[in-house]
Amino acid sequence: MLRLLKIRGHSLSPDFREGEYVLTAGFPSPFRKIKAGDVIVFHQPGYGLLIKRVRRVLDGGASFEVRGTQIESTDSRNFGPVPQTQVAGKVIWHIRRK
Amino acid sequence: MFHKITEKLDQQFHFNAVDAHCDIPCGIYDPHQAQIGALTVIRMVDLIENLLKEHGDSLNAELLNSMARYVAVKEEHAELAKHEIRVIWGDFIKDAHLEKYPQLHGLVHKIMQLGSKARQTVDRETAVALLEAINEFAVIFWQIKGIDTKRAKSPYSVSEDVVLPVL
Repeated sequence: MLRLLKIRGHSLSPDFREGEYVLTAGFPSPFRKIKAGDVIVFHQPGYGLLIKRVRRVLDGGASFEVRGTQIESTDSRNFGPVPQTQVAGKVIWHIRRK
Repeated sequence: MFHKITEKLDQQFHFNAVDAHCDIPCGIYDPHQAQIGALTVIRMVDLIENLLKEHGDSLNAELLNSMARYVAVKEEHAELAKHEIRVIWGDFIKDAHLEKYPQLHGLVHKIMQLGSKARQTVDRETAVALLEAINEFAVIFWQIKGIDTKRAKSPYSVSEDVVLPVL
């Protein structure tokens, strides 16, 4: 499933800035295997729908260690690895503001 | 161009937001509240001791009422100081900070213990030690933020030193 989402917050700034948009692909596909460096969207209990960059793929893709770019970013340092079941999609297009 | 088109579409269709989440409020942390908590504990100890010195030989309802209020405020503010430090320690401090300041865990533990002791006792020395430990934490906190600090006498009824950011 494709979704167009608007970025809110500064955790991935300056790579992904507040007010920019991302198109995500949510359907499972061997061609869309998630790897380190990919930016994913996932449901995190207590936080809602989050966007972060994958730092490490754990247990052959069963979960992902995610990071923001800011030291204050709320990411796997706070809530641990993100299980694959919580991943809603991978960013396939970043619509930047000029 | 794509951004402008998407923005127009967003105004019409209201796309869902995805959070690039920092802790809310993003990056807003300050040990100031903890320092105020510790200063208040010192002030309450002073008030309790003064009350006993001046009216200790005449037990009455007014004295008991004042004493109860001072103790309640002392309890509340010692806990406030502990809470504020715990939030910064738990949410703001990251592994990289701990590598640079390996004394942080021990210092936070010391603050927790002093905060508890300040609740259990009416001991000015403990209350001042609590403030001093929080000041030490504040120095590290502002160093992490890249902001210089200075020591200054607090402008309140308790004239102990507090560490302040030089903004």
